[in-house]
Amino acid sequence: MAANEFVTSAPPHVKTKDLTGSAMRDVAIALIPVIAVAIGFFRLYALVNLTACVLAAIASEWVMRKIMGREPTIGDWSAIVTGLFVGLLLPPALPFYYGMLGTVIAVALVKELMGGLGYNIFNPALFGFVSLLLISQLWSMWNTSINLGTINGVTGATPLTFIKGGALNGLRPGYWNLFLGNPGGSFSEASVLAVLVGAAYLMYKGHITWHIPASIIGTVFVLTAILGENPLYMILAGGVMFGSFFMATDWVTSPDTKIAQILYGVLIGVLIVVIRLYAAPTGAVAYSILIGNAFTPLLNKLFVRKRFGAVKSAAA
Amino acid sequence: MELRTFRGGIHPPYRKETTAGKATVEISLPDEVVIPLQQHVGAPNNPVVAVGDKVEAGQKVGESDAFISAPVHTSVSGTVKAIEDRKNFTGASVKSVVISVDPNQPTKWTEKKNVDDATPEQIRDAAKEAGLVGLGGAAFPTFVKLSPPKDKPIDTVLINGCECEPYLTCDHRLMLERPDDLIAGLKLMMKAVGANKGVIGVEENKMDAADLLISKVCSEPSLDVVVLEVKYPEGAEKMLIDAVTGRRVPPGKLPSEVGVLVQNVQTAVALYDAVATGKPIVERVITVTGPGTKQPGNVLVKLGTPISHVIEQCGGLSGDVAKVVIGGPMTGWAQKDLSATVVKGTSGILALTSEVVDTNAEQKCVGCGKCIEACPMFLTPNYIVKYARRGQWDLADKFGARDCFECGCCSYVCPASIPHVGYVRKAKAEITAAEKK
Repeated sequence: MAANEFVTSAPPHVKTKDLTGSAMRDVAIALIPVIAVAIGFFRLYALVNLTACVLAAIASEWVMRKIMGREPTIGDWSAIVTGLFVGLLLPPALPFYYGMLGTVIAVALVKELMGGLGYNIFNPALFGFVSLLLISQLWSMWNTSINLGTINGVTGATPLTFIKGGALNGLRPGYWNLFLGNPGGSFSEASVLAVLVGAAYLMYKGHITWHIPASIIGTVFVLTAILGENPLYMILAGGVMFGSFFMATDWVTSPDTKIAQILYGVLIGVLIVVIRLYAAPTGAVAYSILIGNAFTPLLNKLFVRKRFGAVKSAAA
Repeated sequence: MELRTFRGGIHPPYRKETTAGKATVEISLPDEVVIPLQQHVGAPNNPVVAVGDKVEAGQKVGESDAFISAPVHTSVSGTVKAIEDRKNFTGASVKSVVISVDPNQPTKWTEKKNVDDATPEQIRDAAKEAGLVGLGGAAFPTFVKLSPPKDKPIDTVLINGCECEPYLTCDHRLMLERPDDLIAGLKLMMKAVGANKGVIGVEENKMDAADLLISKVCSEPSLDVVVLEVKYPEGAEKMLIDAVTGRRVPPGKLPSEVGVLVQNVQTAVALYDAVATGKPIVERVITVTGPGTKQPGNVLVKLGTPISHVIEQCGGLSGDVAKVVIGGPMTGWAQKDLSATVVKGTSGILALTSEVVDTNAEQKCVGCGKCIEACPMFLTPNYIVKYARRGQWDLADKFGARDCFECGCCSYVCPASIPHVGYVRKAKAEITAAEKK
């Protein structure tokens, strides 16, 4: 027999073709309805901002990996997805260079400085977004021209302004309006339907499950009702839907077991309601998810699965 | 109707259609056979022949006094050429009896005696003398399984006809070609352990075999055929018991804990042969397939036949064969070359081309949780890997490294191409070593 040598490695010898890159590509595909609605409402504002963020993401990933002597990973779609996320989280009126700044923070600091995809503790896009929020609030003390929440042609309050009900009740958008399409708030908040279509695709592809989104949305709904505010308006307005399905479900920064995922969702849901009602509505979802991210390692450690055939938890 | 199954698992492409319809054919004898003295789980055998001895097919060439062991026999008549270390299919050096094959081979084991009168002792003895082991691949001595502890009565014997590994079809063929002998073997097992129920579990992708077996057992109240969902690893002992009986074997325990004995299709047929004709385990049916095989099929092979000879008899290799695997693609052993020989636990030889072989480099875990969903033992494979990487063996153990039976579902689904099974094997070795200290 000829001395030809074959590849030897541990089993299994066949594997799925669904690698991290293809999952990230699926996330980008799932964002298409949201992006389409954004472009439909905001035209050039959406196109320019999203393009700027994606380019900033690709560039900062490439530069950071170059500096740190790592192989480029454009092919895993992760930078593109982060760029899209940061862009979609921002309000249309914000000049595109702010979006780029937020993206650079997300990709360069939160992801690459932590070691790259898989090593980050916090959701990069949310971190970038919250950084901008903080910067702009400080900045606006000196420079009032930056005004988050103000969109082209519509000067005035975003739908979130109305979550506490009261005198302004008559002015707030209707449920159907919020569900189908209402150009208030950020790009990603324009249509709940678009978010749900994308989320359905991710569920169909097996990349996300109902556990995290359902527990966040359920908690927000129930807690809001208990506190005497309008629960339906609370979940339809602002970033609850987008955050629950697209941001809180991020593989890297969410817990791994189902029980931990549900608790994580409940925690985020409680935080959203508390922050929205008793602090600032803008960015409440983002802050809540980031705080949830911080609890992920602990939740992962606490909830060891009950093993096959085990009568009591094997971790005891 | 919803079919019975277990929780977790995966649906890999099965690729059985290439060989499922091909009847078993016997291949020609090689010039020499290499019989490893250890082909089972347990104590190794000592040779009972010497270099230069003339041996006859079926003659015992190695045995041991240990309880958990199984003797080995020569599969052919010939002359002992050497007794030396040879590499087996796992790459380990094992003392082996090398026999040059006689051109004239005797015709044996054709006379079948009635097995109805066999006593449990006779059945166990026949299994032991025949060197019978689990032929599904685990290779645990059969007679040990047929001797359950007194305090753990067995009520059900379960025949594993799932053949859940992709590509393999040898069990499928055997169910179609020797259904009566399979049922006779099942009854012998039931008698040996005193079970009153016998069940054959078959996956739904083998309905021809299931229907045939159902037609044969429908008049027997103690026998049953259960059709199961097609899912890997349906044929794993604990998963199969769960799917068929709803009983779950506790961590670290054997199936006897829940009153069940599981045996592979081929083992049942071989037990019947052993009791009816006194034939030891000297040959078996294996599937030779994969995109790099010229003439894929199911072949009856004498044990000890080099896989190079088997592949030659199946037309040889074609194309860019990247990997040759002994066993199934999920749990089999990748071969460096074609020198290993067919042993009792060999179920298949797969020639995989570079197109189907995964060559992606290991990436960082992204926490997708797919390995957790897939794990049929309800473990968190990502944590076992995490702690194994850091050398924290106690934590790897806490997260269930030793409960893992290495089905490979986690690695199959992993988008980051992490070789969990390799880490688990390392963790198991370290945990056992630490315990011995």
